[in-house]
Amino acid sequence: MLLSVRDMHVSYGSIKAVHGVSFDVDEGEIVTLIGANGAGKSTTLNTIAGLLSPDSGEIIYQGENIAGMSAHSIVKRGMALVPEGRRIFGNLTVYENLRLAGFQLDSATLNKRIKRVFEIFPRLEERRDQLGDTLSGGEQQMLAVGRALVTGGKLMLLDEPSMGLAPILVQQIFEILREINAQGTTILLVEQNARMALQLAARGYVLETGNIVLAGPSQELAQNPEVQKAYLGG
Amino acid sequence: MDLNFLVQQFLNALQLGSLYALIALGYTMVYGVLLLINFAHGDIFMVGAFLGVFGSMVLNLPFVPTLLLSMVLTAILGVVIERVAYKPLRHASRLSAVITALGVGLLLENGMLALTGADPRNYPENFIVTETYDVAGFSISNVKILIIVLSILLFLGLYAIVQRTKWGMAMRAISYDKFAVPLMGVSQDQIISLTFILGTGLAAAAGILWGVAFPVLNPYMGLRVGWKAFIAAVVGGIGDIRGAFLGGLLLGFVEIFVVALGQPFGISSTWRDPIAFALLLIILVVRPTGLFGVARRQKV
Ligand SMILES: Nc1ncnc2c1ncn2[C@@H]1O[C@H](COP(=O)(O)OP(=O)(O)OP(=O)(O)O)[C@@H](O)[C@H]1O
Ligand SMILES: [Mg+2]
Repeated sequence: MLLSVRDMHVSYGSIKAVHGVSFDVDEGEIVTLIGANGAGKSTTLNTIAGLLSPDSGEIIYQGENIAGMSAHSIVKRGMALVPEGRRIFGNLTVYENLRLAGFQLDSATLNKRIKRVFEIFPRLEERRDQLGDTLSGGEQQMLAVGRALVTGGKLMLLDEPSMGLAPILVQQIFEILREINAQGTTILLVEQNARMALQLAARGYVLETGNIVLAGPSQELAQNPEVQKAYLGG
Repeated sequence: MDLNFLVQQFLNALQLGSLYALIALGYTMVYGVLLLINFAHGDIFMVGAFLGVFGSMVLNLPFVPTLLLSMVLTAILGVVIERVAYKPLRHASRLSAVITALGVGLLLENGMLALTGADPRNYPENFIVTETYDVAGFSISNVKILIIVLSILLFLGLYAIVQRTKWGMAMRAISYDKFAVPLMGVSQDQIISLTFILGTGLAAAAGILWGVAFPVLNPYMGLRVGWKAFIAAVVGGIGDIRGAFLGGLLLGFVEIFVVALGQPFGISSTWRDPIAFALLLIILVVRPTGLFGVARRQKV
């Protein structure tokens, strides 16, 4: 098991956001976590990535409990998060965003990874010296994924990469995620766009107000009447 | 008014302005990274100047080793102040951080007063031997050239760090959006420490150079100078290092030329500060974000 979350509780001050969530991600898989607004999807991902500390529970990553570890030391272990809303550094150029994402890498590895990002997203190479602020939403999402490709390698967490993108761009991004996965990166995908997410992922979990209420292979979830009603528009 | 007089005033303005500029850089960098106005920064400049007294008078070191010693020790002090006084307040209200900064400033002033007494200090005679060269009929002092050139070099060095290195990129990234910085594998604490090292190191250099140019050092020297450099940073557009440097130079020019050009019209030099500040206020009215500032995008 690459990642195993065990009975994780997270709160913001006195507000409890995640109430004892458990799930697993195996090496090489694409797993999705779907749920409505406020279900606790972002909280879950941000806690795994080390931006938040869980109140209790374990986050076992590559056999090590990383709960409460700082985000920058988790990055060192090959995990990367594409955060909700992309969070591109608008005052840095495309290249500088990628360069910064490889903060801990030696220059040979860094250059190799940036080269790979430019191969996957030729559009980013064309806009190499353009400021992040001036990119279109789709380009920003490409840059956000590109940054995670530079940082990570083993496990990529994505928080609603389809948000605010036209369907054709969503298709494109998901196609690339499939490719990245085929090349060896395990993916944990959080989405409100359940249809797309269940098509891409082999397995999924449904999160509702901080609890996992359903789990199973994507096809089964897609057939489930409750899931259909709540997340697939009937 | 003869040309030589104007050339002298021009050099004076560059000298004073580049000293303000070096100090303004520290205000602007700390603000960019922490959104904190480090009101102790003027007093850190004072400590740098006094460490120059320590290096030159007590240890009998020449100019360059004294400068380096003071920059290193002051930078350490800057990091310690951040860790002990500011870091615990990083998530507290802006007001408590500002009050803490003022408190740190008072501590430094009174600590230095207790340590060295109230008598003004200066550097030894042979610290920098003043020489005057004759260049195309103008007399030019080596001290002024040294101060101007060294300040510009220090600024260019800082600019290169901020623009070209990954640490500089991280500093700029933090000032744009703190949230995502740790996800890049960057330790925010490290970058904040680096910011204090650079800012306080430059303030120490300014302190030593100030003491060479105006050899009356006392524990309160950082107050007025610090306020002026802060205003220079705001005029330049706080958070932008080019702005801080330009703002400092501008303030130097305004101050020197208010006096130089005002004299024939019976404007006494006591009007220097009010007129200088009024001019800067006008700039801020016309451009509220300062010369280089952009309005901060509201972040969610
Ligand atoms: N910074 C915060 N402070 C307080 N409460 C928060 C904070 N962030 C999230 N919450 C609360 O935690 C709960 C889970 O939020 P979270 O952002 O994890 O949901 P989500 O599933 O990602 O929703 P969305 O699909 O809208 O992004 C919500 O009730 C939310 O109001
Ligand atoms: Mg969310």
